[in-house]
Formats: sequence, C-alpha cells, structure tokens
Amino acid sequence: MPNRRLAFLSIAAACLASTSLSAAPTDAPGCGELMLHAKGVATQTPAVRLGTDFDVTVSGAIARVRVTQAFRNTSKGWMEASYLYPLPEDGAVDSLKMVVGQKIFVGHIKPRADAQKAYETAVTEGRQAGLVDQQRPDLFRTHVANVGPGQTVVIAIEFQAPVRQLSGEYALRLPLVAGPRYVAPHTLTAADGTPNQAALEDAAAITAPLADPALGKSLNPVTIEVHLNPGFVPANIISPYHPITVRDAGAEAREITLAAGDVPADRDFELRWRSASADPRIGLFRQEFAGQHYLMATITPPADRAIGQVPPREMVFVIDNSGSMAGASIEAAKASILYALGTLRPEDTFNIIRFDDTMTELFVHSVPASAEQLALAHHYVEALDAGGGTEMLPALKAALVDGSPGSTGVRQVVFLTDGEISNEGEMMAEIAAHGGRSRVFMIGIGSAPNQFLMHRMAEAGRGTYTNVAVREDVASKMTALLDRLKAPAVHDLAVAVGGAPLELTPARLPDLYAGEPLTLLGKGDRLQGHLTVTGMIGDKPWRQTVDLAGAADSPAIARLWAGARVADAEAQHSAGQLDDAQTDALIAKLGMDYGIVTRQTSLLAEDVTPVRPSGAALSREELPLLLPNGWDFDKLLGRVPAAANEAADTPEAPSEQLDLPQTSTNYAEALTRGLAMLVVGLIGVIALRLRKGEVA
Amino acid sequence: MKPVAWIGQLTAGGLCCVGLAVMGHAAAVPAKAAMAQALLNRDFTHSSTPWLGAGVVPVARISVARLGVREVVLAGGTDQALAYGPTVVGAHAPGGRSRVVVMAAHRDTHFRFMRNMVVGDVVRVETTGGGASRYRVTRFQTVRWDQFTVPTAPKHRLLALATCYPFAGPGHRTLRRIAWAEAIS
Repeated sequence: MPNRRLAFLSIAAACLASTSLSAAPTDAPGCGELMLHAKGVATQTPAVRLGTDFDVTVSGAIARVRVTQAFRNTSKGWMEASYLYPLPEDGAVDSLKMVVGQKIFVGHIKPRADAQKAYETAVTEGRQAGLVDQQRPDLFRTHVANVGPGQTVVIAIEFQAPVRQLSGEYALRLPLVAGPRYVAPHTLTAADGTPNQAALEDAAAITAPLADPALGKSLNPVTIEVHLNPGFVPANIISPYHPITVRDAGAEAREITLAAGDVPADRDFELRWRSASADPRIGLFRQEFAGQHYLMATITPPADRAIGQVPPREMVFVIDNSGSMAGASIEAAKASILYALGTLRPEDTFNIIRFDDTMTELFVHSVPASAEQLALAHHYVEALDAGGGTEMLPALKAALVDGSPGSTGVRQVVFLTDGEISNEGEMMAEIAAHGGRSRVFMIGIGSAPNQFLMHRMAEAGRGTYTNVAVREDVASKMTALLDRLKAPAVHDLAVAVGGAPLELTPARLPDLYAGEPLTLLGKGDRLQGHLTVTGMIGDKPWRQTVDLAGAADSPAIARLWAGARVADAEAQHSAGQLDDAQTDALIAKLGMDYGIVTRQTSLLAEDVTPVRPSGAALSREELPLLLPNGWDFDKLLGRVPAAANEAADTPEAPSEQLDLPQTSTNYAEALTRGLAMLVVGLIGVIALRLRKGEVA
Repeated sequence: MKPVAWIGQLTAGGLCCVGLAVMGHAAAVPAKAAMAQALLNRDFTHSSTPWLGAGVVPVARISVARLGVREVVLAGGTDQALAYGPTVVGAHAPGGRSRVVVMAAHRDTHFRFMRNMVVGDVVRVETTGGGASRYRVTRFQTVRWDQFTVPTAPKHRLLALATCYPFAGPGHRTLRRIAWAEAIS
C-alpha cells in the first residue's frame, strides 16, 4: 500500500500541477491518461530520442565539463521535448549553446521567470529555442521547442566543479540519472488545508516518466571522455562502475574513454586517481574577475595523527528501507550497518532507527554495545525489507534527540539512504535547528543517490558523506569512513587572512576529518600575505599557513565561488538567518552577476525567425528516464507478487495483492447514537422540570 | 435551585447538545457524499477541483443503468477521497497500464447500490480522457481486506468494485465484497 502511494502521490501531484498550469498548451489527453502515461511509466519508445556526451577536462583540482545533448525527432510531427537530468551539485552551469544544422545560437542568462516567458513565446511563435533551468542544485531540466520532423537539435551546456579529495585520492563524479523521488504528502498541502500550488509544481518539475524495463536500456545512451591533467603524474586510475580505456597523452596527461563506447544512463560515473609521487601540492588557485580577486584554497588536515585511546562514543544508525531502496540498495545498506556494528566496543552506546513512511527505533534510547544488544541489532537489521514511502523527517528528528545534551562526548548519527526525497530543505532546517552536539554522517546508497542531499546534510551536520553503490563497496568505503569517525576531528576552525579581508565560503566552517580536505573559496579586493587556518584537535591547537603569492591562475574560481555562495545562502535560509525573499534576491543577483544557472536564473537560447508553419501542430513530450541500476521496478511501483487466489483468471496466473481501504462510514449508526443521546437528554430535562414543579 | 437539580439540568442539557452534534456530524457524511457527486457530475471531465484536496482528482465516471447509478470516481485512495466518491485502488485506474481496474467506495454511500447488484449487470466506465468501456458482472467474491489479489495479466480486461461487507451492522470491518466484471468487446 505505501509504495503504491509513493508512485501514486507523485503522479497525482504531477497531474494536479499540470491541470493548474492550464495556461500552457498541452496535448495531454486528460488527467486520467496523464496520470499513467505522461508521468507514470512509459511503455513506448519516445518520439524524441536523446544521446548525451560528456567531455571533461580536469586541470588540477577543477573539472570543466561540456554536456552535449542531441535531441532527434523521429516522428512526422513538430515536437517539443523536456528532459530531467542530474549534474554535480557543486557545479556551476555557465554556458548554453543550441546548434540547429549549421546555425549556432548562444544562450544568455536571464531571471528564471523571464526566461520561462520568453521560451513560451518562442514555443507559440514557432521559433526554435532551448531553455536550461535548475530544479535542485543537482537537478536540471532542458526544454527544446519546435524540433521539426526528422530534425536534430543539439543543446550544449558547460559547467565546472571542484574535484573531490579523500584520503589522498581524487574523485570526479558525474551523476547520469535522477532516481524517482518520493514527494511527502504533507508538503503538498498548505497550512490552511488547500493544495500548495508551488509545491505541486515543484513535484511535477522534479519527477519524470519512468521507462518500462521492457523498453530495454538503450534509451538516452551516454558517452564520456575525460582529459585528465591533474598537475602530477596520475596513478591508480579507476572507474568502479564502468569499464574504461586509459591512454597516455603526455607525461602528466591521460585520455579516458568508456570501454563500451556508450552506456545506458542508469548509474553514476565515477573516476578516481592518485598521485604517483608522495605529496602533490595543488592546493591554491586564483582568478581576477570584474575587478575582484577570487581564491580557492584546499586545507588538508594532518593525516598521520596518532589516534590513541578513542573515548566512548554514541552512534545512532538511521536506515532507509523505503521502496526506492528495494533491490541492491537495501542489501548494501544492511551490510554497511552490520559492518559498523562489528566495530563497536562495549563502552560505546548505539541505537538503530529504520524508516519508510513509518518509523521504528530499535531501542527507546541508545544502549551499551553489549554482546546481547548487538545480537539483537544484527537480527533486527537482517530482517529489514524495503517498501513504502520515504518520510525521512520523523526519523531524522528521532535521531537528533540527544539523551544527554550537556555531555561533551562524541555523538554520531550515521544516515544510510538513497535520499530520493523532494523535501530536502526540511532536513537541512531540522539539522540547523536541532543538530546540537550530534554530528551527521551521510552514506549515499545505490547507483544514483541524491548527491545534493548527502552533501548538504553532512555539511549542516558537520560530518562527512560517502557513497556505497554496491555490496562490494561496503568493506572499503565503510572501513575508510569508520576510521575517519574514530580519529578526533579538527574542530573550532577559524580562518584569517593577512593583508586584505576575504569573503569566505563556507561561512560556517565544518569539522575536519583525517584525510578529508576542506575547500575554501574567497573573494576580496586584494590577495596578499598569508592565509592561516587554526583549529583544535582534541585539546591541542593546530594551525596551517599558506602563502597566497603561490596561487596558480584558473578561469573557474569566480564562478565556483558564486556557486558556493548560493549554497551558503540556502544554508542560511535553512537556519532561519535569511527569509524567503532575501534568499531569492541574493541567489538571483549571484546568478545574474556571475552568469550561472541557479533556481532563480536560467539560460535561454532562441532563434529569431519562426520555422514551424503556422498551421502545424506541436506535440509536447517529456523524455522517460531509466530506473537507476539495482532498483526493483516492481517493488517500487507496488507490484508485490502474492499467491494467486480465486480472483485470478486461472489459479496459476500471476497475481498481485492489493490492500483494500476501509469502506464504511457507519453514519446510520452514529445517527442512531446521536438520536438516543438526544432522547435521553430530553427525557432528563422534562423529568427535572416536572419535579421542580412538584417541589414548587 | 438545589445544586443536585442544577447538575441534573446541566447533564441532561449537555446530553441533548452532544446528541445533536453527533447527529449533525453523522448527517453530514451522506450530505457531503451526495453534494460532491452532484458537483462532480455537472462536468466531470473538467478536473479543476481544488476543493477536493491534494492528490484527489476525478479520473472516471461509472454508471449502472439498471440501478440508475452514475458516479464520478476519484484518484487518491485516501479517506479524504472516499468521503467524496468512489476511488481508484493502487495503480489500477481506468485507461491505465493495468488490465485490471479496481475501485472502492463506502458501503453506505457511493457503493450502497452494490447490495442490489446481480450477475449480468452492465457497468459503463468513462475516463476523463474521453475513453469509454463496458463491463458485465460475472461473479462476486468475499475476501479479507489484506488478502485481495488481482491477476497481473488476465485474458479479458477486468473491473473490480470493492466495498465493506457485510453491508450493514458494525462488524469487524475486515471483510470486503468484490463484484468482478469482464470487459464486453
């Protein structure tokens, strides 16, 4: 029932939203049809086919990526297509080009509403146009209008993103598919009980039709080419989820392509490399942009700290067992928890919380990790099964309830989820408000987890995040994470710049864990002197100083700073430091000033001359997405196989169990009850009046 | 007035008030059910019905000519939707992917007619998309609410109408009566 509700609600929401957007012309045959075809499951190959190419250039610690999406109209009519796709959440999209035949149209940044309006005008006037807008920091949508019969329109966008560093390893992650997200019902209703129009539109914007597995994996194929120039001799180049071919292109350069040519867009691409030499120094970059100076500095905490005696800890594990986790994901999550349980010591305390659209806590509060309690926990975790919606907020609230808030001990919340939810903002706000001394560590489960949620929850909770895609990842990823959790973090970080002041992001500095560097972005009038980072490791002071004169030039820093500043604005909004209007205005200004796509600014490219004949009709199509690899399609859509009974055509026929709702109002009984009360009451009143008369 | 008499008056008066309130509440159920259907039936393909609540939209209309029944079916499957009309259960909406359409409604409001249904009755289903199909009732089934199954790939398209059973009395509310109907080509 609940997992059916998941699909249902998001679909119903989309349905409502589309009816509310009646200003936009739609060829949807009506809500009933729309619910199952336009946003539900696509059983037919779409008329518009899409191929995507990623061309990545890694220079030092920054990746510049060109994403080329070719939309080919295979139908005999004029088409408009819309495609939902993820990009790295810390990327900054700054360029759009639309190529039609020999013509190239360059996109311009515009306030979102203006871009939307201009695009709609182009649609109705029959002009070709391409629009890129942001639904979430890691979720974008491309719209192309008036693609002629047999024609191909190419949309090329570019973005840059910092390369992530972890324990001496560098990683580039390209998400290739957006998993279907759960839309929590309460978010769709406003305080006064009426449908929340904005939330319904948002739900429609972040969901896409799902391709039926029967269509195969050939939809939306992806090719990837990486030009790797890390600034040192790269070694141990691996891509854990896709076979790759590596070619030398010079002493310090490598060309990496997919061994299979093209791959289905059903899991994230990850490329990792190390330095062949011991200690590469690539930590400092600068750029001058519009009269301002920008800086990117990577602060590396001391790696070889003696761990010594680890004080007792409290660990709370939160595991998502909703429908989207069904299949490989829940297995990986369970294995991860079991692994972590094995590392607990008798002096540690722990608890386990599981949630789908309901929630249970294994213990009322954290208990000592005795052999009996651990045995109980093992049993509990092994019995978990995935199904139902994803109501994450109650589980997060429960996990943040601190039994001894005054304590100075270490309290760690380890969250295992694919993060397929749409109310990310509520999570950040909850952590900002009730995080206390708890540190939140995110483990992104599955082949395409919600990176935005992982990153920002970990940031708000001053923890770290890691991805566990498959069971095989568990041992290596969990060992590394648990080691990081064990070592004392650098806390009470402070940054000082000699010379001129710098506006730094993140504004709220996190704790630093061993092997996990912090990337600081700053903006100021001048870059001079030294940057000094100080902090405490346990009760010992720690400091690191870098000379700003040693910074290398990079053309990406200003926009990366702007992207990070947007993330800061959202964090301040979650923490209640900025109101809705201030946040919107700040983000819109950053988007316009730096020419990057934000939730307030979009890129639009358009032709000035109409191409579609005035009489020709235009069909809209939203491209279906593959289900992320390892997901269980039937479980997600609530097709739970059950034993056949007399309802089936034949006893052997496959059948599905359905929970039937409670269907009696019993109003007649209630009416009788009410009448009985009234009669008794009236008799009482009359009897008392009569007695009063007698007494008088 | 003596305090005892005063308390007695108050209790009796209170009982009258509560009784009236309970009656009003109960009477609102069929009134709401009937009024919602009257409003929905005026133009059921026009699905701008925000008053129904989030996620609740008309998806189809069913009619049984012999019993003079015509009702607009809603999406949602929630208690809220059930207050206004029959609702689609799970992903089994008419005009959808599944070859089996499943609808449920209250035994004492919208699906009250099920107690008079017989094998051979014809049910017409029109979707908001403009499609229409007819089904003939072939059999009835009584099943626990959590043991109801539908075939995933039946030979004929099927329609299942479900309501609480027995049709009257308090009962334990665990049983459901299902009317199974096959599509007429």
